[in-house]
Amino acid sequence: MRKKVLLYGLLLLVLTGLGAAYYGYKEFNRKQENIAELPSAYQLPAVQLIQEFTTNEQTSNTQYLGKIITVSGNVKSIDNPEGLATVSLGDTSSMSSVRCSLDSLYTHQAASIQLGAQIAIKGYCSGFNADDLLGSDVILSRCTIEIINPQK
Amino acid sequence: MKTAKSIVLVGFLLCSLTVSAQRFFTKTGSIYFNASGNSEVIEATNKTVTSVMDTKTGAIQFAVLMKAFLFEKALMEEHFNENYVESTKFPKAEFKGEISNNSQVKYDKDGTYPVTVKGKLTLHGITKDVEAAGTITVKAGKIQATSEFKVLLSDYAVEIPGLVKDKVSNNAKIKVDCTMEPLKG
Repeated sequence: MRKKVLLYGLLLLVLTGLGAAYYGYKEFNRKQENIAELPSAYQLPAVQLIQEFTTNEQTSNTQYLGKIITVSGNVKSIDNPEGLATVSLGDTSSMSSVRCSLDSLYTHQAASIQLGAQIAIKGYCSGFNADDLLGSDVILSRCTIEIINPQK
Repeated sequence: MKTAKSIVLVGFLLCSLTVSAQRFFTKTGSIYFNASGNSEVIEATNKTVTSVMDTKTGAIQFAVLMKAFLFEKALMEEHFNENYVESTKFPKAEFKGEISNNSQVKYDKDGTYPVTVKGKLTLHGITKDVEAAGTITVKAGKIQATSEFKVLLSDYAVEIPGLVKDKVSNNAKIKVDCTMEPLKG
């Protein structure tokens, strides 16, 4: 009887250990999730996001930093379209933009958009780079283009 | 009189031309870091680096958002942001400095020039003096600035827990690669 209890106890211990090891292994090797399948916490126009960060960087950091957001606006420029493309959204008359660095899975999307198009991009908010000389930008990382509206 | 006026005008134009090509910048610069210890590879790249330099004075600046360092492994990225650099509290790292031997770089001639950069690096809310060797490559009107140097994480109060002391190196290798274009206006 006692032997049996001991045996089951041991078995339970081994199984728990294996389970923990498997969980640890899975967790350690966990890949980044596909941005297209994740919901965004906020949806707003690019100009508004820039305005909010310019007015109060600290409050905006608390609200948006590290969160997934969807930003819509006018395509101002496309940098490095053949590599890890960055699409800038915002007002052409302003130096400031929301700079969206496309996820490596979605870099090909850069080829399907044109300057001046109205689009919506989803990505992680990495923060705000205030610069008087170069224009202050909000940076989004791991982005995917959600909507392309062909009408200007 | 008319010639005098046009000479002044041409002179003025020339001046503004040289001034406008004095500053170079990028918003898509790259910074890579590697803090691999004995067993696992710990590396990440940030390709949204803002950099601006003045060829006349040799002043050079870099600004980088910590949350834009991308890791292949999700858990590593989470630990980097939450436990190591505390990127919510300190979202940005900055370097402000100058090229010590700026006069040796011929910005009007294509070529690769070795340089030494000295300045202040702010990371994790702490500012320290750093000096690094690098190169300036002038090619087709663009300037490529590269550098490879090491940073002691302990200098910036980035703590490595005892449990992973052998997995995370305190001596992180940093690689900077920024191709800058002339800044107009």
